[in-house]
Amino acid sequence: MTNQGTQQKQTAETLSHMACAHCDLIQKLPAMQVGEVARCIRCNNVLYRKQKNSLNRALAFAITGLILFVISNLFPLLSLKAMGLTQEGTLLSTSISLFQAERPFLSLIILLTTIIFPLTTLLGTIYVLMQVKTNRINRYTAPLFRFLRSTDAWGMLEIFMLAILVAVVKLGDLADVIFGISLYAFCLLILSLSFLSYSLNPHDVWNRLRDIKGCQI
Amino acid sequence: MSHSTQLSTARMQGLVACQFCHTLSRIPEEIQNINREEDTSNKTNNVELHCPCCQSVIHSRIPDSLNKTWALLIAAIILYIPANTLPIMTVILWGNGQPDTILSGVIHLMDAGMWPLALLIFIASIFIPILKLLILIGLMISVQLKSRWKPRDRTILYRITEFIGRWSMVDVFVIGILVTLVQFGNTAMVTPGLGALSFASVVILTMFAAHTFDPRLIWDVIDEHTDKNRNNNED
Ligand SMILES: [Zn+2]
Ligand SMILES: [Zn+2]
Repeated sequence: MTNQGTQQKQTAETLSHMACAHCDLIQKLPAMQVGEVARCIRCNNVLYRKQKNSLNRALAFAITGLILFVISNLFPLLSLKAMGLTQEGTLLSTSISLFQAERPFLSLIILLTTIIFPLTTLLGTIYVLMQVKTNRINRYTAPLFRFLRSTDAWGMLEIFMLAILVAVVKLGDLADVIFGISLYAFCLLILSLSFLSYSLNPHDVWNRLRDIKGCQI
Repeated sequence: MSHSTQLSTARMQGLVACQFCHTLSRIPEEIQNINREEDTSNKTNNVELHCPCCQSVIHSRIPDSLNKTWALLIAAIILYIPANTLPIMTVILWGNGQPDTILSGVIHLMDAGMWPLALLIFIASIFIPILKLLILIGLMISVQLKSRWKPRDRTILYRITEFIGRWSMVDVFVIGILVTLVQFGNTAMVTPGLGALSFASVVILTMFAAHTFDPRLIWDVIDEHTDKNRNNNED
């Protein structure tokens, strides 16, 4: 633990100056304690977040998230019971039913935002963090992490969760809505994903990549 | 003012920050000179700089940011019309179909007494998309008019649009869930409408537009102005 603490202190120092992404102002990063956030003096944009044990925590939440993602997709999230018939809904069946309803583009949008991007985020984050932690990076590590950072906003499972709540209230009057086994896993998945994005400090990954590659600033 | 002389941007110092790993790199002299002459900005597109640490393509400002953002915004505004006039879904009960647009969907929820839900859908599907389009158009016009009005507030507005835009997708997901669950033949069925696709496209296009807009353009006007003032004071 102490060893890692000193390592993080060192890597934070390698990035001594930063240009604000939103106003281009160059600022010297102050000495920061865990939990502190450095903001741009001119536009208030977050420059740097100092977090404790960011990579280990993120890895733990990503692995938990991957397991919960698999469970969420194995069983139905919701079922609707009416006139003696039961209709089940999963993440994948939402895309499939839109495809069958002759809305291929809508189906693709839902497939990408609820399955493909969340899954690549989880798998990719685990892969990158494992590589960084074991100091075994290759030339695909940086491009992969760049891809993960730029597609972060396109995984929309938390919005899908809100949509489930809306659908339950809407259908509640008309028919019996049954919560599926996977819905509980799905709720926990949303929690792990938000903990993952909160605990993963991309600066820590880039600092470690810079350290391993010996890249000079 | 000794304070203002300390403020200096990466561009003023001939540096480029990597958007991913934040490493600062020095721009080679010859490219810097081309950058200063705005008319020949096309030439800079041929020269690609790469971040020494993560190998991503780096640029001082997003190339062609204003044109790309206008194109995406105009496409979004055009699609906003079918998104609101075409039905987003049709609910078929006992063989009778009732098409719903975004607005009529909200009104039906209000009629059914589901006020919190009506408010949520109103905010996500009507208020946020309009707000986002208006803020982005306002920011674009302010940059093109070289406005110096409250740059900090405008940057914060930009961050808000970047953050809230994706939540408008909630109605699209609700339609997806309803289409999946309500499949009881002619007695009860929900089919997705073209309005839903148009609306999803509006959300996606405005997300891309927020991504191609470069908020540093807001500050370039301010920096040029303080630069000029500094030179005038020296005379
Ligand atoms: Zn700033
Ligand atoms: Zn980089």
